[in-house]
Amino acid sequence: MKDLKLGDKFSRIKQKYGIFLVLILLFVVSSLINSNFLSVRNLTNISRQISITTILAFGETILIISGLLDLSNGSVLALAGLLSVSVFKMTGSLILAFIVAIVVAVFCNIINGIMVTKFETPPFIATLAMMAMARGAALLYTNGQNIYRIGDYTVFGQGSIGFVPTPIIFFILIGIVTWYILKHTRLGRSLYAIGGNEEAAVASGINVNRKKMLAYIVNGVFVGIAGVIFMSRVNAGLPNGAVGFEFEALTSSIIGGTSFSGGVGTAGGTVIGAFIVGFLNNIMNLVGVNSYVQQIIRGGIIALAVIYDTRTKKMRTKSQLGNVE
Amino acid sequence: MRKSLIMFMSVLLVLGLVVSVGGNEVMAQEEYRVAYIARAQGDSFAAWLANSIIEESNKYENIDLQVFDGQGSDAKQNSLIENAIVNEFDLIIIQPNNGEAQRPYAEKVVEAGIDLITTNARIDGIEGGSSVDADPYMQAAVVAEMALEQVPENANVVVLNGPPGNFHASERRKAWEAEFFAKRPDVTIVGEQIANWNKDEAMRYMEDWVQANDHIDAIISMNDNMAAGALEVVKGDPEYNDILSYGVDGTAEAVLLIKEGRMTATTLQSAYALAERILWVSDLLVTDKVMEIHTNIGNPVVTSENVEQYIEMHEKAGNL
Repeated sequence: MKDLKLGDKFSRIKQKYGIFLVLILLFVVSSLINSNFLSVRNLTNISRQISITTILAFGETILIISGLLDLSNGSVLALAGLLSVSVFKMTGSLILAFIVAIVVAVFCNIINGIMVTKFETPPFIATLAMMAMARGAALLYTNGQNIYRIGDYTVFGQGSIGFVPTPIIFFILIGIVTWYILKHTRLGRSLYAIGGNEEAAVASGINVNRKKMLAYIVNGVFVGIAGVIFMSRVNAGLPNGAVGFEFEALTSSIIGGTSFSGGVGTAGGTVIGAFIVGFLNNIMNLVGVNSYVQQIIRGGIIALAVIYDTRTKKMRTKSQLGNVE
Repeated sequence: MRKSLIMFMSVLLVLGLVVSVGGNEVMAQEEYRVAYIARAQGDSFAAWLANSIIEESNKYENIDLQVFDGQGSDAKQNSLIENAIVNEFDLIIIQPNNGEAQRPYAEKVVEAGIDLITTNARIDGIEGGSSVDADPYMQAAVVAEMALEQVPENANVVVLNGPPGNFHASERRKAWEAEFFAKRPDVTIVGEQIANWNKDEAMRYMEDWVQANDHIDAIISMNDNMAAGALEVVKGDPEYNDILSYGVDGTAEAVLLIKEGRMTATTLQSAYALAERILWVSDLLVTDKVMEIHTNIGNPVVTSENVEQYIEMHEKAGNL
């Protein structure tokens, strides 16, 4: 009896902190493999590298929790960032450029939201369509060419406040906003409810479509900010930039424990997922792992994370059924 | 009155005849339908080439050009080629995504009796097909030869590669191997990765390499975009003031970096020169002046000594 309780406790700890233990293990192993890994400069470097995809992952987490998805965030990031760079070159106003990026990304996400809520298009299809449209618009706008000489625009992605690089500051601020929305607002609670059981959420009086639209709008704000940081970091307007970022964001979110079936996920988990991906990419480059092998390892980790998620969910259901019996 | 009417009718008839003969002369200048199937409009060089081809085609009144986007996908590009065959274009120009994947479809073009040009990169050995290209091996070889003299002894270098399976990516890498690394065994490659021609991917790799190594003496990149990404990482770092960096393409950004003294050299793969040559060959083929032709454009090296003329070229084209 006592053993069972201990087993139960261990299982709970594993369920709750499993992903955090993985991060610590990866951190320790990486430090042992390469002495450069542990330097402050390298850790800052990793945080800066993951900042853009983690900002996207925060938006993705909010959406997945509520049973939604965004495959268009990489393309929308490119479109929003590109138009923002363009406005900056025309006006010289950083504030206006920043606002334009957010407005464009929110507009694209409102369309996503309308397709999902009004036309009942599956989020996968709706955002896949937006992915193509936004990328096409970005390429059309510049005729496929990059925009150079962006001047002071680089302050968003290459500047720093004190010793902390600006992308990391944005990453932390948006992380706090995500945590606050999910943990302390009615919107957050509604999103968990919708993702957990949409019919029950409707029955309890939640305006599901409105909340879903709000989730897309919040995601749009994050994508717009990510667009500004991205273009600023690469010191150019790249219409074909951020290709595949949607998958990196999804990976961080899923590894961080957000369940694809909805209703489960946290901002903290997403940060942990993002650092696991960041540490892994960094250590593989530090020790010179071949590009092809890196791809295999990344794919394997996503598969393991999803298997872990499915198994945990089954175990949880079993234990709940056991309690009922 | 009747006489005047007959006179008037006769004048009209003569005028009509003159106009119709003139019209026939105009119609005699046949218009040829040309399909240009681009590799991917999202690729900045491919987009530059497509834009240049469109611009150049405006100089040829007998050529009606339509551009199709292969979107970086073999399957998409192959179906676009099939569509162009079915639509009976007079000439099909293919900028292959992957030469071997497009080869059977390019052969189908010739079999259908349609003129064919493959470009950037050419698909070798298609009987009856023509080609216009810049030699990717030579593009890298000319800068590699410069690097032989410039890269210091026992240097640490990093290498940025293009997408796997891409003819230009592999030929350029081969050139660096044969013309530089084989002749300089003292040089150590401290990092080598595929950054898929992308600036942001190259940045990420360079950020890690800078952490992993005490010093990097040179960036060897298979295109300018990736070289620019790597340089962005060490920008303003006094430790890397003397870093050497080599690319290929001669993009607007690369020539600016050379002017600023941050990039060492690149080989110009001029989309304008390619477009000019492609349209010239197209005209020869559709008017049956030649049946098959294979031609290369030159590989001028851009350095700080001659960079001004290339900046001017990009400014004229509106790229800067």
